[in-house]
Amino acid sequence: MSEAKSLRVFMTGVGGQGTLTATKLLAQAVLSQGLPVTAGEIHGMAQRGGVVESTLCLGVLSPRIGFGEADVLLGFEPIETLRALPYLKAGGIILSSDEFIAPMAVALGREQGPDLQEIKAKASACAGTVRFFSIRSMGKSCGAVQSGNIALLGALCASGLLPFGPEVLEATIRATMKPKVAEGNVKALTLGVEAFQTQ
Amino acid sequence: MGHPLLADAPGRIELLLGNEAIVRGALEAGVQVVTCYPGTPSSEVPDTFFRLSPEGDFSFEYSTNEKVAFEVAAGATLAGAMTLVTMKHVGLNVAADPLMTLAYLGAPGGLVVLSADDPGCHSSQNEQDNRAYARLAGIPCFEPSTAQEAKDMTRAALLFSREHGLPVMLRTTTRVNHLRGPVTFGPFMPKTKPAGVPKDPRHFVPVPVFARPMHLDLMAKMARARTQVETSPFNKEYGSGPHGVLAVGINRSYLADALAESGLEAEFSVLELGFSFPLPEERLTAFMRGKKSLLVLEELEPILETEVRALAQKAGLSLLIQGKDLACLPRHGEYSGRMVTEALYAALGRTAPTPVHCAGTEGLPVRPPNLCAGCPHRAAYFAVRQVYGDEATYSSDIGCYTLGLLPPLRMADFLVCMGSSVSAGCGASRAAGQKVVAFIGDSTFFHSGMTGLANAVYNRHDILLVILDNKTTAMTGHQPHPGVEKTALGDNPARIDIEAVVKALGVTQFRKVNPLNLKATTKALEELKGMSGVRVLLTEEPCPLFARRVMAVKKPMTAYIPDPCDDCGQCLDTLACPAFSKKDGRVEIDELSCSGCMFCLQVCDRIKARKRSA
Repeated sequence: MSEAKSLRVFMTGVGGQGTLTATKLLAQAVLSQGLPVTAGEIHGMAQRGGVVESTLCLGVLSPRIGFGEADVLLGFEPIETLRALPYLKAGGIILSSDEFIAPMAVALGREQGPDLQEIKAKASACAGTVRFFSIRSMGKSCGAVQSGNIALLGALCASGLLPFGPEVLEATIRATMKPKVAEGNVKALTLGVEAFQTQ
Repeated sequence: MGHPLLADAPGRIELLLGNEAIVRGALEAGVQVVTCYPGTPSSEVPDTFFRLSPEGDFSFEYSTNEKVAFEVAAGATLAGAMTLVTMKHVGLNVAADPLMTLAYLGAPGGLVVLSADDPGCHSSQNEQDNRAYARLAGIPCFEPSTAQEAKDMTRAALLFSREHGLPVMLRTTTRVNHLRGPVTFGPFMPKTKPAGVPKDPRHFVPVPVFARPMHLDLMAKMARARTQVETSPFNKEYGSGPHGVLAVGINRSYLADALAESGLEAEFSVLELGFSFPLPEERLTAFMRGKKSLLVLEELEPILETEVRALAQKAGLSLLIQGKDLACLPRHGEYSGRMVTEALYAALGRTAPTPVHCAGTEGLPVRPPNLCAGCPHRAAYFAVRQVYGDEATYSSDIGCYTLGLLPPLRMADFLVCMGSSVSAGCGASRAAGQKVVAFIGDSTFFHSGMTGLANAVYNRHDILLVILDNKTTAMTGHQPHPGVEKTALGDNPARIDIEAVVKALGVTQFRKVNPLNLKATTKALEELKGMSGVRVLLTEEPCPLFARRVMAVKKPMTAYIPDPCDDCGQCLDTLACPAFSKKDGRVEIDELSCSGCMFCLQVCDRIKARKRSA
């Protein structure tokens, strides 16, 4: 396996969103290029509606990312993007969903969560590049909310940060998913790429 | 096409979860018998074997608990089969009895016990360090750090075990079980048919007169094992700096990254132990000799640190040895790249530069894990709270239903370990005369609740036990147990009926209900509340996720709140069902989240049922 420049991607979302599926897919795409990859995830109690964090690391051995170590923060839910900000390097890149999944206390009207404006302001205050996308809507338009995660991966591919482009991810989707599922996800991938390029 | 893990394809590279890599390693070694009790972070090992079992050339079982799993495995290795038994760290407490004695008997066919430890308590009630068990039992221990090593070491551990006739521990931590990395496959070893247990009681029946020489034999085997550890390829050195670092497990990855990124490589020499017990004493002593200092990187207990201090004393070495006495290396929780970087600087008498990162936001709404929409445990708990309120003390157990501890249900006042709710509940009831309601899940009942219930009957305790039967082992991923009707691979041909077991154990005050029927459940609870002695309420309703995925149950109706509703929010406040929300003062039920259990209709008559829209 060839040497690669180190790159750490921190991913965060809510249980049931498909964060771990996205992580696995991205890791497979990296491996398909013969690059050294380590991904990490924590299962268990977190899956019952809790926060799900995962990592993808290139060119290093550890699957863990500490505060200030992530080059990229992929937020599959905006409150979780905000919560995970400390993991990002100053000047790092944030690609995030702008569609909320309300935590229980917010859904019950007992607490108020941050609004999108506050999240964007705090993200912009420390990151180099910040982009928000309506990935759940993108996913829905491709047949499944979860495909929105693939749209966010599409934006990541389009950012030029990975050592490969969206065509590699597309090939991985086609190689690992059933044709019908793959079709929707490839569509979502394209939407994500376009959204990054036009925003 | 067969499963990729079963392919005899040396050289192929696959992206694997640490736990899947363990499966591949065992298959390459020629594993013949696999037993387990599931538990995070070990569960994907048995679950993968279960999925492979129709095609694979091995025997697999979900055993009723870890002790049973270990004993089945013990019998198998004594009969000559190459055997793997898997469990989480606290499971090894349950299996400690057979572990200690099997070390004396030996493992003629080879036996590896996977102990999946959980530093940081990601999904466990404690963070005990099971490397101590390898020392206590006197068995070798491997500690992988990457997916490739998880595969390679499982293979090597099984082969080593068979070669030396010693049980071997494969000790992982959550980070290793749940990382993903590329794994290069090796070849499959040829299998030999197990010959059966020989007629040789001198070696296999540890009555005192035979046990004493068995202990000597174990020590001799471990001495031979140590000579191999001295030269094991899993123990590696790199770097040529004046300061030494000794690292095990996932810390080896943290260390390699920290050295590369801090630019301190020239200062350190590293000794990594992958095959970490018995200690390679000569190698360690040689490594320490001439070093200015030694830094020990191990999560949790200072086990290696204490051992190398003793080694240094024996060798007359006076180098500074540091580990848990450094403020950045705590005895609790996980280590991280950052902690290791700080320790490297501290070893040089310097302070690590502070990383620059984005500021955090205080007070964000949290996402505590919650019972799913339609979970029958919520319904059972709701009824118990209606009947008992805060009058009873609630003795909880281990499973999804532990989540009932959160408000508004508040259905857990204390919890000790798997299967403890009955017995610990009995103790509390007898000691202080408290009214005790204990909860236990179906899988946990078979695991170790039955013995507690037998004890409750025999010792005439006063307790109400609610058995929450959701027809699967839900928390760890829907594994089967003796009482299930269906599994992911089909019907359970040898189902054991919980009601029959409870009655056979001598329980006469018994009720059975569907917890989604509030009236019936409340009535049964009222009746049982009026009685004394051992009482059992069995609530039967499948986990909705399991019902949908495995039992193919479809619930065509959904709950909704038609106008007019006064939006009092009682339903939200008492049920906390995640399908409910309050937007701009209006209470709503999300059709996508609603499982169609219809329990809420019995809680408030303003909630109605209708057909799903799509």
